[in-house]
Amino acid sequence: MDTKKIIECERTKIEKWSEFQLPNRWKTIGVLLCLVTYLTMIGLKFTDSEPLWLKEVLRKLLLIGFLIVILSKEKIEDEMLGALRAKAFTLAFIIGVLYALAQPLIDNLVHNFIYEPNPDNDFSYFQLLSFMLLIQIMFFEVLKRNR
Amino acid sequence: MENTIKVERAILNLTQGELADKIGVSRQTINSIEANRYVPSTVLALKLSEVFDKPVNDFFKLRKDD
Repeated sequence: MDTKKIIECERTKIEKWSEFQLPNRWKTIGVLLCLVTYLTMIGLKFTDSEPLWLKEVLRKLLLIGFLIVILSKEKIEDEMLGALRAKAFTLAFIIGVLYALAQPLIDNLVHNFIYEPNPDNDFSYFQLLSFMLLIQIMFFEVLKRNR
Repeated sequence: MENTIKVERAILNLTQGELADKIGVSRQTINSIEANRYVPSTVLALKLSEVFDKPVNDFFKLRKDD
């Protein structure tokens, strides 16, 4: 395969993947999945036993729910919504990186100067990903409402 | 970019919703284009041109700062 063909193949595949979207009905499924998972997480906080494996599964389910909401089409999907979605992704990515940079620092300051030093002061993938996905959803909804 | 889509639409006696249906976008997108908040793609501009039966240059104009 020559270089031109490889470039063409890469280009078409990336174009195809970047345009991937789920049908509109998946949005409701995603929202329901998020709600059920979130309520289960809250419910588990009030019980004595909160198995670690269940906590991990629920976290993953919540992230999958957010992802389904983000990837679902609107009822009338057009190019303007595509542009707004891209803007929301950009903002979420930038704010997510800033959050990842600032959060451990703020956490450290709060724990060392206000409370006792916290030995379990780690920054989880769940915290960052859920923050980024939520920011994307929030910005997209705001941009969509004000279009 | 400025446009006179509102005028063209009025000539054809179309509502924003009707024009949106003709070119396959939402009513809000037409509203944003008319208010110069969104610059449509060439594909959408050509679809509008087909509906209005006029060249794109007749209803889209560049501003001095474009």
